[in-house]
Amino acid sequence: MSLKARSRRNAIHAMLFYSGGCNGCDIEVANALLSPRYDLEQYKVLFTWNPREADVLIVSGIIAWQLLEPLKKIYSMIPNPKAVVAIGSCPINGNVYKNLVGDIGVNEDIFAPLDNIIPVDVKVPGCPPRPEDILEGVVKGVPKLVEAP
Amino acid sequence: MASQNPVKQKEVVEIEKELSFGPIHPALLEPYRIRLFVNDEYVEDCELTVNVAYRGIEKLFEGLPIERALVIAEKVCGICSNVHAFNAVRVIEGGLNIEVPTRASYIRVLVHEIQRMTSHLLFFGHAFEVLGHETFAMRSFLLRETFMDLMAYIGGNRVMASVPIIGGIRPRADLTEPLKKTILSRLDEFEDKYTDYVNRIMADPMVMSRLTGVGLLSKDEAIKWYATGPTGRASGWDFDLRRDMKEYKPFDFKVIVLNEGDNKARVVARALEIFESIKIMRQVVKNLPEGPVVNRQWIAGKMDYTIAYIETYRGELMHSYGLDEHGLIRNYKIRTPTITNLAAMEQACIGDHVTDAMVTIASCDPCLTCCTRAEVVEKGRSRVMTDQEVVRNYGWRH
Amino acid sequence: MDTISFTLLLIASSVIAIVIATLYSLVLPGIERKVQARIQQRIGPPILTPGFWSVIKFTYKEKVEPIAQMPRLYKCSVYLGVVVVAFLLLFSTPYWWAVLSWGSILGIVGLLKIEEVIYVFMGSQSQSILSTSMPMPDLAKGSKHIGTRREFVEQHSAERAIKMMAIGSLPIYLALIVPFVVGKSILISDVVSFQNPAFFSAPWYGLPLPSHPILFTVPGFLATIPFFLGYTILLNEKPFSILKAKIDVIEGGVLEYASTLRAAYYVMRNLLLFALSSIFVTLFIGIPFDPFTPFVFLLNMLLSIILPVCLAVLVAFSPILTFRQIYPVAIGLSAIGVLAMILAVSI
Ligand code: SF4
Repeated sequence: MSLKARSRRNAIHAMLFYSGGCNGCDIEVANALLSPRYDLEQYKVLFTWNPREADVLIVSGIIAWQLLEPLKKIYSMIPNPKAVVAIGSCPINGNVYKNLVGDIGVNEDIFAPLDNIIPVDVKVPGCPPRPEDILEGVVKGVPKLVEAP
Repeated sequence: MASQNPVKQKEVVEIEKELSFGPIHPALLEPYRIRLFVNDEYVEDCELTVNVAYRGIEKLFEGLPIERALVIAEKVCGICSNVHAFNAVRVIEGGLNIEVPTRASYIRVLVHEIQRMTSHLLFFGHAFEVLGHETFAMRSFLLRETFMDLMAYIGGNRVMASVPIIGGIRPRADLTEPLKKTILSRLDEFEDKYTDYVNRIMADPMVMSRLTGVGLLSKDEAIKWYATGPTGRASGWDFDLRRDMKEYKPFDFKVIVLNEGDNKARVVARALEIFESIKIMRQVVKNLPEGPVVNRQWIAGKMDYTIAYIETYRGELMHSYGLDEHGLIRNYKIRTPTITNLAAMEQACIGDHVTDAMVTIASCDPCLTCCTRAEVVEKGRSRVMTDQEVVRNYGWRH
Repeated sequence: MDTISFTLLLIASSVIAIVIATLYSLVLPGIERKVQARIQQRIGPPILTPGFWSVIKFTYKEKVEPIAQMPRLYKCSVYLGVVVVAFLLLFSTPYWWAVLSWGSILGIVGLLKIEEVIYVFMGSQSQSILSTSMPMPDLAKGSKHIGTRREFVEQHSAERAIKMMAIGSLPIYLALIVPFVVGKSILISDVVSFQNPAFFSAPWYGLPLPSHPILFTVPGFLATIPFFLGYTILLNEKPFSILKAKIDVIEGGVLEYASTLRAAYYVMRNLLLFALSSIFVTLFIGIPFDPFTPFVFLLNMLLSIILPVCLAVLVAFSPILTFRQIYPVAIGLSAIGVLAMILAVSI
């Protein structure tokens, strides 16, 4: 394995973007990261809040319209190669907020499938997914990073 | 108290600069924006922009059958999911006079208190993360796992346990004998560790020097700005809805009221509440009556606009709706505690250092996914706009 | 020894020292993280991940232009920082002690000052998206104080850096003076030979051990306290990380560094971690970082782990202090430094 691939495999910086779900997923990601029981760091995933440092962008939540622009901006700030992990049903299909609407028919405030906005590499369904699944999801984004030129 | 705190009197101040944080920021657990108006290091004024996670959630309920609506009610907030499900069923139970079996009511209280623990421990995690003390934060998350586990044992999911349904609880969530034993033993284990943890925090001089005397909110101010829940109780405002709720009648517990009104008091208030919750949970498990857990003898029909209040982890929560003749929901309204705490938060952080102000905001335990309204008063008439309309009409800054 | 061979040896020793120190310093953050993780009851990352592999990974990332007022200056300042820290490291290698004032305390203090000024540069340049320029509709008709000057958090961090320069760096300077007072000279070589008389006469394979290290005298021990906390202040680590406080200014001025620049920043930070630690071992124990006496060299590297590990423990057990607490702490530390100096004079 080349030095490039090894270095990318051995140090992964992940960044969390909460895009306005119910918070459940954000807390579970924080759990996966902060709770000594799960401890993302032992899988060589380091956490950061700075898009300039990040490799993996974790998106949780439906995309509320106010967060649309920040999401695109932050995605564009991450230097290549980068991977996007969608956590929870919210960014995957809009969950109840998009699919269980009453009389209003279409919920215009939600820009949910994340694929429409930025390319998604890993999807972790669940409402909310267990921290173990989140760990697995983040680690699944690594092959893409490693194979990138 | 107010006179001790001269900085916070209303006066016109020159403002040197504005610092804005968020919506993506290490100090925030959810998207919102903080604008701090700062002179040197001192915060002179503060504004929170909270409607970032707008999902139009009240509108979604409109015209849904009541059982389906409960699914959404639970997803109003991911920290206190059970509260919203609980209160949503209390509305219709009150409005249509649906009898709830005692056993079900006990188990609802149990789940409610379990989630109070997770919420308070999350608060510790968040507050210490904001203080910069990672070890305490992680320790708190480790302690929290006890209750996440119990939640998963009872309801099947760590966060969205969906225990309350109309007329009782989901039969799956009924307590079996082994589960009761597990709960009691986990509680004992937790109480030991937690007592050590709290004593360790109280003995830490650096942490205490950061918390003591910062973010003062006097009793008058707390009442004036409608602080509720532990935030208000830490300022000496003795009010807890649990004392009046019929679900809590059989149980014996104290309401924690502190008079200091600073960040330390807000942390301590929650720390002590956890002991009371443990007490309640023990009582529930020990005195759990036998009997059915759900009453299916009801039909959703026309119901007037009904209101239910409940004491959640952050304060007082209101749910209200009416049903039309087909049993569909009309006019769903939610008023979450953080909305009323917001003004208190903005007030409490005035006069402190920027770094302390962030702690103050965190110490009021904001949970903002649920607070989103925009009301426009145009030519004397008021109407509610969605945020998107606001921006279409008025544009937004880049 | 004639000038040419001296110069060649000087260059050779510097290159060896810097290369080995850089590689070694990239292991230190891993050790730090591991210590913290064990305190926090978790496993923590592998030792090489936070330092070594991260730096290599960043060099393989796409180069992006930072958003800054003057991008060139912003990019230069991190490289300048690396150079300054590298020179700082060379103070513990004996060949440089012969070069003019390099061998004296003045050089160390001067370079440390430059190092601090660089943070002000970075802070005033960087304009990260994470604060003011985030596209958010937060200025509406009814918003408070419209028209106030909006500042980037990095600029706020720069202001804090200035305050820290004024007060925070005093303890370490005072502590640095103590060994020189004890050694009654302003030259490092005198201080080392005072503690370790055999060092200059030992053969290259020898391991001359210090006979009376300053660390184990009363003033030396007292001075260690301000030195260690001053070290924390210079590295901007908790509890003195106010200018990089994660919860308001996120990372301060270094926010916009990406790819290679960030790798350089990591190198700068870690090398400073090692350089100051190595200087401590040189001045307080009398074991220099001399590439031409391999055993002394290794011993210095080994002992230089102590300060970073203590630092990791301190970081794990402390919150961020604000200026309310930093001012009294810094004054108290300076007082201890002065006391140590007075005691040192009377020895
Ligand atoms: S997927 Fe579920 S838990 Fe996660 S943010 Fe959406 S509603 Fe909340």
